[in-house]
Order: sequence, then C-alpha cells, then structure tokens
Amino acid sequence: MTMEIASARTAVAKPPAPGLISRRVLGNVALGLVLLAVPFWLPLVGGYTDLASRVLIYALAAMGLNLLLGFTGGLSFGHAAYFGLGAYGVGLMLKYETHSILLALLVGTLVGGIAATLLGPIAVRRRGIYFAMITIAIGQMFYFLAVRWNSLTGGEDGLTGFSRHPIKLPGLTVPMGSVGFFYLVLVCFGACALLLWTVLNSPLGHTFVGIRENYKRLIFLGVRTKRYLAISFAISGFVVALAGGLNALLDNFTSPNTLNYTLSGDFLIIAVLGGMRNFWGPLAGAVIFILVRDYVSSITDNWMTVIGLIFVLSVLFFPLGILGFFNRKSAS
Amino acid sequence: MSFLVLDSVGRRFGALRALSDISLSVESGELRAIIGPNGAGKTTLFNLISGFFPPTEGNITFEGAPITAVNPTELVHRGIIRTFQITEIFLSLTVYENLRIAVETAMGLNLRPWISRAQRAAVAERIAELAAIVRIESKLHRVAGELSHGDQRVVEIGIVLAKSPKLLLLDEPTAGMGDEETRHMTDLIRRLNKEQHITMLFVEHDMAIVFGIADRITVLDNGKMLAEGNAAEIAANPRVQSAYLGDAGLGNAA
Amino acid sequence: MGLILLFNAFNGLIQGAFYALMALGLALILGLNNTINFAQGAFMALAAYFAFTLVPYTGFWGALIAAPLLAGVIGFAVETVLVRRLYSRKDPIYTLLLTFGLALIIQDMIRTIWGAQGKPLAIPGFLNHPLSNTYFFLTGYRLFVVAVALIGTGALFAVLRFTRIGIRIRAGNADLETISALGVNIYLLRTANFIIGIVFAGVAGILAAGQLGLNPTMGDALIMPAFVAIVVGGVGSLVGSLLGGLIIGLASGITTAFFPAASEVVIYVIMGIMLVVRPRGLLGQEGLFE
Repeated sequence: MTMEIASARTAVAKPPAPGLISRRVLGNVALGLVLLAVPFWLPLVGGYTDLASRVLIYALAAMGLNLLLGFTGGLSFGHAAYFGLGAYGVGLMLKYETHSILLALLVGTLVGGIAATLLGPIAVRRRGIYFAMITIAIGQMFYFLAVRWNSLTGGEDGLTGFSRHPIKLPGLTVPMGSVGFFYLVLVCFGACALLLWTVLNSPLGHTFVGIRENYKRLIFLGVRTKRYLAISFAISGFVVALAGGLNALLDNFTSPNTLNYTLSGDFLIIAVLGGMRNFWGPLAGAVIFILVRDYVSSITDNWMTVIGLIFVLSVLFFPLGILGFFNRKSAS
Repeated sequence: MSFLVLDSVGRRFGALRALSDISLSVESGELRAIIGPNGAGKTTLFNLISGFFPPTEGNITFEGAPITAVNPTELVHRGIIRTFQITEIFLSLTVYENLRIAVETAMGLNLRPWISRAQRAAVAERIAELAAIVRIESKLHRVAGELSHGDQRVVEIGIVLAKSPKLLLLDEPTAGMGDEETRHMTDLIRRLNKEQHITMLFVEHDMAIVFGIADRITVLDNGKMLAEGNAAEIAANPRVQSAYLGDAGLGNAA
Repeated sequence: MGLILLFNAFNGLIQGAFYALMALGLALILGLNNTINFAQGAFMALAAYFAFTLVPYTGFWGALIAAPLLAGVIGFAVETVLVRRLYSRKDPIYTLLLTFGLALIIQDMIRTIWGAQGKPLAIPGFLNHPLSNTYFFLTGYRLFVVAVALIGTGALFAVLRFTRIGIRIRAGNADLETISALGVNIYLLRTANFIIGIVFAGVAGILAAGQLGLNPTMGDALIMPAFVAIVVGGVGSLVGSLLGGLIIGLASGITTAFFPAASEVVIYVIMGIMLVVRPRGLLGQEGLFE
C-alpha cells in the first residue's frame, strides 16, 4: 500500500510549486539540453550515436506502452506487435513505394496504430491477467503472419533491401547519417513526449488514471471504462508503432523478432525498471537496459542469463523502478 | 407516482434465495434506513437497485420508468448513485484529484485530451464547492490512501455528489468509524437530505443513528421484509424485537 | 483427400493433446498461484533434457517418470525462493516479468549445458512402427502420446476430486481467503500446486521431444497455443482448458490440410472470434464488471 502511494505521487500533477519556474520545468529543460547534445558528448565517454538512437527508440516504445501500463493499468504483453507492424510498414514502403522516410514513417505509424485501434476493443473485454494473455496471443498472430507470409515479409530471414535516404525539405536536405538520424529520432521522441504529457494532464488522462486506480468506482460514476481502456490502447499503439518504424530505419532491416512477445517483455521491463508510475521512468529504464545489454553481449555468450537476472532482480528489489526508488528516498 | 418502487422483487443465487418478495416505495426527498441482522439481504437489495446485478423476480421503477435490467452506467446517468461497504475511491491520488475525476466525469469531459482555461476554472470551482459541502477542504492535497477510514468515506461521498444524484444509496456509511467521525457523517447525511434535497437509502447498524435521522425504516430479515414504518412504529414492533433478540439487543444490533 | 483430412485431423488432435497438457499445467498455476507462468515452456524443455540425460541409465520409461519429477524439484525451489515473494503484490505484472526472466535464464542454462544444437530423444523401438500399412500415419508413438495425455489428465482430475490436497486446491481456486481462515496452510498448498503444474509441463515436454526432438526453445512453440487454449476454454475452468487445447489442435490440424501457411494463425483467429462472441470462453465463469 505505502508503495503504491509513494509511487503515485510522482505520477500526478501537484498543485503548482511556488516560485517563477518550477523544478519540474527546469528538470525537463535540462533533460532536453542533455539529449540535444548527445552527439557531442557521447563519443567522449566511449559511446556511439547509433546506441543513443536505440536507447531513445526503446524509450519511446516503452513510454507509449506505459500510457496503457503505468497510467491506465492495462498490462499488455503484446505491444511488440504494433512496434513490428510499424517497422514492416516503413520497410515495405521504402522498398517498394517511396524514397521519403517521413512518408514511410507516417504510413508505418498508421499501420501499427490502426491495428491497435481495431484490436484494443477485443482485448479490453477482459481485465488483469487475462487481458495480458489475450494481448500476447493477438501479438503472436502477427508474428506468425510475418514468419509465414514469405513473399511479402521475407519470412524468418527478415525484410531487407531498403535504406535511409536524406530528408528533402524545400530548400534544405537533411543527411541521414548517424547524427542526422539521431536528431530525427529525438524530434519524434520529443513530439510524442509532449503529446503524452498533454494527454496525461487532460480530463482524458485523469480518466485513464482513474481506471488504473479503481475501475469499479468509475463504472459507478457512469464511465464506460472499456471505451477508455481501448482509447489508451490505441494511443499507445500509435506511439509504439512510430518507435518500430524508427527502429527499422536505424537497422535498415526488420525481422519477425520485432513482432515477438519477447520484445514486448523487453518494453515492459524497461518501463518497470525505470518506474512505470513515473513519466520519465521508461527513458531511465531504456538507458540502463540497452547499455547493459550492449555491454554484456559484447563480453559473454550468456548474456541472456544476465538479461533474465535483470528481470528477476528488478521485480524483487525495484518494484517501483529506479526513479520511483529515488523519489521515495527523497520523500522520506 | 412514487419516486422509487420495488414490486415483489427477489434474487436467487442458484439454490440460495438471497431476497424474496420485497415490495417497497420511497418518496422523493425521503431519508430511508434499511436495517436488519447480518445476512438479511440489505446489500443485495442495494445491488439490485444500483444495477450491480438484476433481480431474478419482480420489477423496479424509478421516476415512473422501469429500471429492472438497466446496467449500472445507465442508472448513474438517470441519477442513481451508490457507495460501497468497502470504500471505493482512488487511493493513490490526492483528495483533489479524486474529486477532479468525478467532477470532470460529471461535466462530461472524459473524452477531452485537452482542456480550456475556462473549463479548468469551472472544474476547480466545483471541486471547492464539493469539498466545502463534505468539509474536507483542509485535506484536499493529501493522498487519499493516507487518510483515516472516516475521511476516506467522506471523500467517497464527495465523489458521488459530483454527479448530482437524485437517489443516493449509502451502504453502511458509518461502519468502523469513531464517535467524532460518526457524528460528522450523520450530520453530513442529514444535510445532504435537507439542504441538497437528495433522496437517500442507507444501510446502517447503529440504531441510534437510524432512529435519529431516518424518515422511515425498512426492516429486512432472512431475505424478507419484516416491517416498515417510522421510528416509533419500528421500535414498538414485536416482530422486529424478536428478530433482533438473537443479537445483543436493539442498540447493538451489528 | 478423405485420408489426408483424417490424417491431419488426427495429427491435430495429438497436437491438441500437447496443448491440453500444457494448458492444464498453466491453468493450475494460474488458478491457485495467480501467476501466468511464462517459464512453463522452459520447464518443459528442461524436463526433456533431463530425460535425454537419464535415458542411458534409466531407459525411456524410467526417464518419463523421473525427469518430470526432477523438473518439479526445480519448480519447488523457484516457487519457494522467488514466486512466493510476489503473491502479496496485487499487480500481476511482477510475477509475469519474474517468470519471463526465469524462462530466459533456464533457456540459456540449457544452451550452456547441452548445447544449442537440436538432439533426438531415443524412444523405444516398438513405438516407432506404423500400426498398419493402410493407415501409415498411425504410429505407436502417436497413440502412446494420446494414452499418456489421457492417463495424466485422468490422474489429475482424480487427485482433484478424491484426495484431500486436491479438494483443497479446488476450494482454494474458488475462495482462497476462506480456506485460509479454515486453517489450511495456503503457502504449502500453493507450493504443491505449482509443483504439480510443473510436472505436467515436464511430461508434455518429454512426449514432445520424443516426436520432434530436443532444442532449448522447444517450449516456445507450445506455450502460446496453451495460452490460447485457456482463453478459448474459459479462464478458471480446467475442463475448459482441456477442451480448448483439443479444439485449437484439431482446428490447426484441419487447416494444415487446406492452407498450411495459416495453421498457426488459425488458433488466434479462433480466440478472437471467441472473445467477440463469448468473452468468458467455453466454460469460464462470468466475472463481474470485467
């Protein structure tokens, strides 16, 4: 009980803090500056820009998922499906239809997002554990579709034969090398963060949180809770699909693994590890998860055991996630 | 035409008869107590009226319209709202946020992914109004889960009031409360009835409260109606007395 | 065509028997331990590898008994050391992620100990022969799988119906608080239940390995259909899970005859239809306000 309370404090807007600029605004500005400067400072500490793009893409996916998971209380174990649909949408568009990666991203996001919009209402027919089982099963359907529909998707070998082209705007061509692409990812990340932030601070977002907290009370206030679960499902689906599209661009490749439930598990642990009741929790989780995985897989073949241990240990010892953990410390 | 009418209503769960042949009518503006020993069917009665589950026999009408098999969401829109024996609020949110969800719902804003300055102000004003009615202003920015049991119940009443109920069902509003909290709650119930003109049904074990504030009292025993009347009639009713004899007497019937 | 259809239907039923065994183990643990055991597939593979190691010493029959029990011992350790700590957390995400992580660890261990390459599991020679020349597909092993599935299921239902622990497990499924108040040690009960679920997975794993061979991720292919079987059959009903497993196995088998590429996807379509038409599944209970 105390755990939930401590964690929720960070998730909700408090009465405005005294002073001209609140600490929250300052913190967000600082975060933005750090992210903007990544291509300059990351190489100095031994990182590479593509790794930062990967972190942001996974953070974006986990943030999208977290709207449903952490703020609406819907435990989806199948969001990789929308990630993968976004990825295949982008890959197929670039391979067959267009050289514009922006158009491809738009189409990929729509494909994944619309799938989530159509399937959400089916999944929300049950709650709790069963909701999780249904979402995972729906997700696996797409996985097997991608594996079997060889002629379109390339089957288990994955989809190749597309690449990032520079973005041509009127009077301006943006090269899509590692750094250029990083800024594209950052723009997408920032726009989605702003969108999610706006939603969470609106009556719609308040309704989502109400469903997480007590759906019975909401039903007896006359709210059709399933409709709102489905809306949250859809919004999170669009965000996750965009992340998937970016991921396909980062790799110039996508495979059925981007649809598989194991990737859904990665997104979930990123949200939980960072703190799922915290707006920036998924970003913190993605930084840790991607860096650890990148490092460990370079030094041992048994990296799966290490990833498994991250799951086990964070569930046992950091149920509030890293940010939740520190928030509680500073609160007490 | 009475406000709320139950006509030979009954509910079975498999072989178990939880309620049978309940006929009662409640007038607009009435404050009605439902009493009876444990297992008498009081909460089942509330569940039937609020649409938690439908009756297996009989009919219910509200403001002249049949509501027998209407779902709870629709009943809320018609003005029937309830509280639960176990307080149902948003525990990890502040009192303010609890009320905000209710107010925004009542104002039909749930679907809005943004909110105008004017609407935000209207919401805040209504929250302040509700907080004043239930007298929780001083704790508005406390997390609900950290409040005392009594205060949590008060928050729940604030939440349901946001929807401007015509008929309010309170399931054991004072259960588990201390003297001071009970007095506050009793006073609140009376004020809501007299000042806000809300028709109320409440289940209560504390006979002092029941006899103190209820206009009329319905007594259930073993799933059946035992008696109905005002305080004096019920107190004098020999069947009611014998039903309660197994317990520790009238004053302590819980 | 008729023969091919029959062949595929029969094949599907055998596949359904695997799904049903898996689904039963999962449903048991889902019911009383309130846990989606993602590691069920990994335990299944683990038991099969135990059997692979035991066969030279104990023979196939000894391994069929001993290996699931060994997996049960690991299950016992996992439940008492890890899973048990999470029962008090209401949010199901924690057990889900815990068992998901466990699955990764167990798979990786198997890979490290036995290698990533697939291996065959030796089965007694007489089970390998076709029973007749006309019905060439009817090998003894396929009948054997069906028989073991029947015996296992029968034994489970007998235990649940007639033994003290079984009756308590069923009562606990209905109302854990009440039987706890009646003085039943629910910790012990949940541990026992978890072990039974794992042993079931173990048996299914060995049977599957006898037909398809061993590899570290062999459980992955069966755990998803088992989920679907539970959803289709109705959450909270063991008989439902059993039926669900057989139905999706049969559907998948028949689809193979007409449109092989859709044989996996079809079970998810069935689930989707079920959710639209009857959200609680074939035999599931109706949850209030789900």
